[in-house]
Amino acid sequence: MNTAKRDWKALLTRHEMLLLYVLIAEWLFFYFAGTTTNRRGVVVGFGTMDRQFDILRHSCEIGLLALALTPVIITAGIDLSVGSLLGLCAILFGQLWHDGGLPIPVAAGLTLALGALAGGLNATLITALRLPPLIVTLGTYSLFRGLAEAITRGSITYTGFPETFLFVGQERWLGLPTQAWIFFVVALAVWLLVHRTTFGRTFRTIGLAPEGARYAGLPVERRLALVYVLAGLIAAIAAIIYTARLGQAKADAGTGYELFAITAVVLGGTSIFGGTGSVHGTLLGVAAIAVLKNGLACLPVVMGMNAAEEMSGLLTGALLLLALTASVLPKILANFRSRPHAPAP
Amino acid sequence: MKKLLHVCAAGAVFLASLVTASAADAKLVVAMLPKSKGNAYFISCKAGADKAAKELGVQLLFDGPTDSNAAKQNEIVENWITLGVDVIAVAAENKEGISTALRKAQKQGIKVLTYDADAMTDARSFFVNQATPEGIGQGLMDEAARLTGGEGEFAMIVASLTAANQREWQKHVEARLKEKYPKMKLVAVRPCDDLKDKAQSEATAMLSANPKLKLIMAICSPGVPGAAEAVKQAGQTGKVKVMGLGLPNENRRYVKEGVTDSIILWNTGDLGYLTIYAGVALAKDELKQGAKTLKAGSLGTFSIVGDNILLGKPFIFNKANIDQFDF
Amino acid sequence: MKTYFRELSVAAALVVVLLALAVFAPAFYQPQPLLSLLTREAPTLVVACGMALVIISRQIDISVGAQFSVCSVCAGLLAARGWPIYLVLPASAACGAFLGALNGALVAGLRLPSIVVTLATMVTLRQGLNLVRQGEFVNLPDGVQWLGLGQTAGQWLIVLTALGFLVAFGLGLRHLAAGRFVYAVGSDAEAARLAGLRPQLATFLVFVLLGALTGLAAMMNVAQSPQVQPLSGSGLELKVIAAVVVGGVAISGGRGNLWGAFAGLLLLACVAPALTHLHVEAYWEKAIQGAIILLAVVADGLRSRKGGHR
Repeated sequence: MNTAKRDWKALLTRHEMLLLYVLIAEWLFFYFAGTTTNRRGVVVGFGTMDRQFDILRHSCEIGLLALALTPVIITAGIDLSVGSLLGLCAILFGQLWHDGGLPIPVAAGLTLALGALAGGLNATLITALRLPPLIVTLGTYSLFRGLAEAITRGSITYTGFPETFLFVGQERWLGLPTQAWIFFVVALAVWLLVHRTTFGRTFRTIGLAPEGARYAGLPVERRLALVYVLAGLIAAIAAIIYTARLGQAKADAGTGYELFAITAVVLGGTSIFGGTGSVHGTLLGVAAIAVLKNGLACLPVVMGMNAAEEMSGLLTGALLLLALTASVLPKILANFRSRPHAPAP
Repeated sequence: MKKLLHVCAAGAVFLASLVTASAADAKLVVAMLPKSKGNAYFISCKAGADKAAKELGVQLLFDGPTDSNAAKQNEIVENWITLGVDVIAVAAENKEGISTALRKAQKQGIKVLTYDADAMTDARSFFVNQATPEGIGQGLMDEAARLTGGEGEFAMIVASLTAANQREWQKHVEARLKEKYPKMKLVAVRPCDDLKDKAQSEATAMLSANPKLKLIMAICSPGVPGAAEAVKQAGQTGKVKVMGLGLPNENRRYVKEGVTDSIILWNTGDLGYLTIYAGVALAKDELKQGAKTLKAGSLGTFSIVGDNILLGKPFIFNKANIDQFDF
Repeated sequence: MKTYFRELSVAAALVVVLLALAVFAPAFYQPQPLLSLLTREAPTLVVACGMALVIISRQIDISVGAQFSVCSVCAGLLAARGWPIYLVLPASAACGAFLGALNGALVAGLRLPSIVVTLATMVTLRQGLNLVRQGEFVNLPDGVQWLGLGQTAGQWLIVLTALGFLVAFGLGLRHLAAGRFVYAVGSDAEAARLAGLRPQLATFLVFVLLGALTGLAAMMNVAQSPQVQPLSGSGLELKVIAAVVVGGVAISGGRGNLWGAFAGLLLLACVAPALTHLHVEAYWEKAIQGAIILLAVVADGLRSRKGGHR
């Protein structure tokens, strides 16, 4: 067998490619099933450009969190606190601008710094004390949301942002929703970091074998710390975009987003055990979930049931289980073939 | 591998053709957005809306977040815009947040009205007003004062510390308290996350922490039965009164047992019914700015003040009348 | 003493909180309200017993809240159909065991990571329940509340059952072969396998057990009120995991015990009533709980670091 051909085949059956097929099939399905002409003779539904742009706009925040989580999960870590941090950063941003009287760019800059600082708290606990990320971020998950509620006493909502700021979340620039450009820049940066720098490649080494990486002389702690600080920074970017999209900053911003983000990352083929994964996989995962959610809401059948939200949740869960099973199936089959009479493990 | 792609595509198109068959009817489409879909309050709203939609022969879309979530509300409205519905009726979780999406809808020629909780006035044509926050706050506080004889300690259970309407009502309760009932004192406000079980735990703690407590006021619908159960279990029935905003069906048992004294609510089914009638009238250009009345099917005529369509006064349900209501 | 340092420090923290309450808010200790509070926490304790086993065996289950809701609604619907309570109870446990077996099969059978599997089942179950029930309350017939025993007897029964589970599992974990098996699997599955044990089987069984306990707990909760809310149990997973971890069970498996988990549960459960009794405003509750979790893990980290340097 020639190697080139095998490589080609391996590429096409890779997780990311399979996910791409699913995404295309999904999109085509909704394009044909979810587009209709309404009473006034206007083409409406999934097939319109407006809808496609909306999908993009609605996915930016969760997409950003998923980008933030990809390097984290590649290093065999996890960060449950990103959704809460989004809420805390939104509040801080609103407060800096409204109560602090700072101009928007300055407030945004400070918010990014504070986000990175909060990520730094996770990083310190995880690396300096070598604590399990799951538990540390479970703690900060409560802490960040709790602080957001305590600061605003639950009731304060910051609104009345200037038009120029809302432009970021609600209008188009150069043909695309403005925040999509920010999203693409961050995606590109994270992709370059993870896939095109020696620095980023060490993430996978750390995820596969942290002890080995340590013995090989890698500064494991520093790299890990960077990953969590980066996650905090990106969560702060997501917070600002969220605020611009809704025109309000409130303590409940981003509740539950961490679950969607983790789902997207895992669906995108990043192993929760660390060591393998890709940023483009994550992007496909985000897109697959977003198209499913938005597409279902355009289907007449689902609309009749008034249950788009639940259906998409249900199917996302099922899709995740399916993707997981599919990812281990070849290994199990191979095991089975090589040891037909092996005793059960 | 290209083959696989083709098979996928063909399969998708085939499936799609199966599903679309039913889509081509030309009914007027009214989309109704609750604050949270699972909430019994909005479920009963939907029952009334369904009835009106059937009478008027329009298609009703009823979708919303499963939890009260401002961001999701915007996404759903934006979805409806691209679906090209004719009317959107919204119970706003957050005034400013939803208004950007609603203005966009109006620009596309979709008629917009609000019910239950208003958006910014320029983002909708009419507001179907069940009662003003001020009216609700005053009604709650007056009833609480009546039950306690205008003096003593009371505590509140709210849905969450962030829900906009809850904050608004709480504010008006406190304002009324300050203005009219100097001998009453609000000793605790606790959130229950819209969970009955949590309301029960919180109320239990309130009871033992405040031995002089005379009344618990719950202003979210799962909170009232939760507080009632706590009072009943503490053996304080009658000594500590329970009241609040809730649905007759969820509270019937406690009202009859004398644990809960009164619950306050407008007829939520009528609210849904009236909203649909108003929406359809708006779409058919029968309802215009400046109108003074609106006729809504079997419910008769409602008066309009400014751009508020008034549902009427809230009911106070108690032992004597609760059996007349089923929602 | 040294081996139990971690558990003792949580217990000490609990004692401090309880003493503070005794000084500043003696009303906390009236018997009837206290019994009610304990009854409210009893289902959580039962779930925590199962969760401790799962975490000791180096797995995690974040779908317990969703399982709890599904079991509650199932139990409620069966009871509303007129099933007698002695059939509803095992049915609820069986429902939980089935859901646990589903997780267990995916984790142990296919060797998938438990956090992702249970994340997926959590979303699927929760949304499925929303789809079917749309949030509607289930009204129970008379006689289901307190299992038909009357309030005081019912409350004691629920609290004592929960404590019974705690003691049984706590002792079993330490003294039975099966209990030590769980520790063996959690600290080193490969070594356990080489020693002739079957780690995958143990993993499967702890998930089934957790499911069954969750089903029972759901029933214990259903029995406390005349209505079932489908949302009941949301957030339970984090509450239980936090309690177990604060109580000194290591998330990396193989370490910890139920006594610590019990202390952790009581400590976290005290936060909300303590705030009410001390008349602190509610806004700080979540932040305080987060801080307690962080403190507990930081204490863990500092200790293991000291141990490492020696």
